Amino acid sequence: MYADRLSSLFWLLLGLIAIYGSVKLGIGGVREPGSGFLPLLASLSISLIALIILLQTFVKAAKSDRTFSSLWQGLRWKRSLSVCIITLGYTLIFEKLGFALSTFIFLMTLLKGVESIAWAKVLLISVLSTGLCYLLLSFSLESTLPKGILGF
Amino acid sequence: MDFFPNLITALSVAFQPANLFYCFVGVFLGTLIGVLPGLGPAGAMSILLPLTFKMPAASAIIMMAGIYYGAMYGGSTTSILINIPGEAASVVTTIDGYQMALQGRAGPALGIAAFGSFIAGTLGIVGLQLLSPPMVAIALRFGPPEYFSLMILGLVILTYLTQKSILKALLMAGVGILLGMVGLDNITGKPRFTMGIPKFMDGIGLIPLIMGLLGVSEVLANVEKRIYREVRKTPIHHLLPSRKDWGQSKGAILRGSVLGFFLGILPGGGAILASFVSYAIEKRTSRTPERFGKGAIEGVAGPESANNAAASGAFIPLLTLGIPSNVLMAILIGALMIHGINPGPMLMKEHPDVFWGVIGSMYVGNVMLLALNLPLIGIWVRILRIPHSVLFPLILLFCVIGAYSENYSVIDVNMMLLFGVIGYLMRKFDYEPAPLVLAFVLGPLMETALRQSLIMSDGGLTIFFTRSISAGCLLVAAVLLLTSFIPSLMKKRDLVLEEET
Repeated sequence: MYADRLSSLFWLLLGLIAIYGSVKLGIGGVREPGSGFLPLLASLSISLIALIILLQTFVKAAKSDRTFSSLWQGLRWKRSLSVCIITLGYTLIFEKLGFALSTFIFLMTLLKGVESIAWAKVLLISVLSTGLCYLLLSFSLESTLPKGILGF
Repeated sequence: MDFFPNLITALSVAFQPANLFYCFVGVFLGTLIGVLPGLGPAGAMSILLPLTFKMPAASAIIMMAGIYYGAMYGGSTTSILINIPGEAASVVTTIDGYQMALQGRAGPALGIAAFGSFIAGTLGIVGLQLLSPPMVAIALRFGPPEYFSLMILGLVILTYLTQKSILKALLMAGVGILLGMVGLDNITGKPRFTMGIPKFMDGIGLIPLIMGLLGVSEVLANVEKRIYREVRKTPIHHLLPSRKDWGQSKGAILRGSVLGFFLGILPGGGAILASFVSYAIEKRTSRTPERFGKGAIEGVAGPESANNAAASGAFIPLLTLGIPSNVLMAILIGALMIHGINPGPMLMKEHPDVFWGVIGSMYVGNVMLLALNLPLIGIWVRILRIPHSVLFPLILLFCVIGAYSENYSVIDVNMMLLFGVIGYLMRKFDYEPAPLVLAFVLGPLMETALRQSLIMSDGGLTIFFTRSISAGCLLVAAVLLLTSFIPSLMKKRDLVLEEET
């Protein structure tokens, strides 16, 4: 499927849902605009523009239009996916394990799992970065970091 | 003329030890960000915004402003040495800057970029200092209809100047306005689009949104590419340009300064546009246009001056009207709002330390940048050699810490990650995040101005057309929108953008 067709369908759907939501909020009138007045204008614009883009994909010569799969062609997209999953995992352990331990694990996983850097370098970068961030945030910026099971 | 008393006020705030320190941190980080390809000033400013939470407001804005104009300086280094622009406003510098480096003239290229930036930056600040007070006086006469129309014009210009599809940019602006509506309605107190999630009652956080869309998405997009960086091994000498270099560059620097400053003021304009236009003008007015693209020093001096002057000019609508002219200024508005400051015409009166502090710090910051960018060029070249594989985990770490430290909430971090994925997909499908972010910031302001205008006019839409400033803004916006959909003009616009890039 063409990339623009797919994306415009998504925005059209979002626009229509937002129109429904805006009407439900109450549009009011020009004399006294309701909560849904500007959201309705915005969602009408989104829907209209999405519809134009969608129609363009049928009218225009499609040879220059990219397909969905071509957007990831020749790219190492699995790395982006891994980074997302690892970061999500980091947010899950962040408060439970505390800043220091979870950050150390997070950096180590990214540097070794995604980049395959030598272990010695991985450990050095992870320890140094975690330590420096901890010191900077805890003392200089007085930021409250989660302590977790280690107590720091 | 109050120029000198104002200058003394500005410098007295800027020279306070804490402000000097934060100004240095800002310009240092800005240069670093400008030097490092793969992280633009918008992404970096959004990532570093949480660092300002505990600072006094003036120091916070001084630091954030330093990052902004510092990045304009640093961006030229990578353009000249490795043919990769550190940030978008230095794209044109690669054309002649890299050619100069190939010819063994990296030193004069870096030198003229730094001197040009310094001269233009300083002239820009003088312009900012001179124009701000009268602009404030004019802005005080602005009512809600003028504000509303000006914001519409800003959004339209930003979408008009987008390098991709105008339709997609307009769509993004609509999405930004819609996202800005999430939360409690200021006037009726009604929850809007909260989906029953209590967290959304306060609206979508600016920090998770901009950090995700501009910071995390940039990391995700870069991590799947193979980033090669070959730094010129030739020694960098003769950083001070020769008399001949100065002779060829002085006109370009002055033209770039004036042009950049005024393009910077323009809503939706900014440093990127200024650098492109400056290059085009230098090439077209040159007696030897054939030298361009082959290492013409004017091709470095003009755009680098223009982007720095534009960085100063962009502060005028922000400090006087409270309207961001580009996405970077939208982040600065966010920083002001986080500190409980409402940007606008009253800023100069209510928070003179912030208003004059920023202006004063820019004079000081420019001198700091000259020192950072010339004698210390060797350090930046060494930093350039840090592999992306080591940098991106640290950038992500800063994003997570930044999003968390606003409210000490993991939900904010997850929101940021969600916006990061959305931003990554938007880049894939050629939707630019800048109009969305700007509209997100402007959305609630626009709504208030619209409602106030309609109440003022007792329900008549004519109020927007009977007041001259408002009508003028709407007319320009309408003309831009209409011309952008005329096929022959569309082709011309695309050709210009193609030629520029």
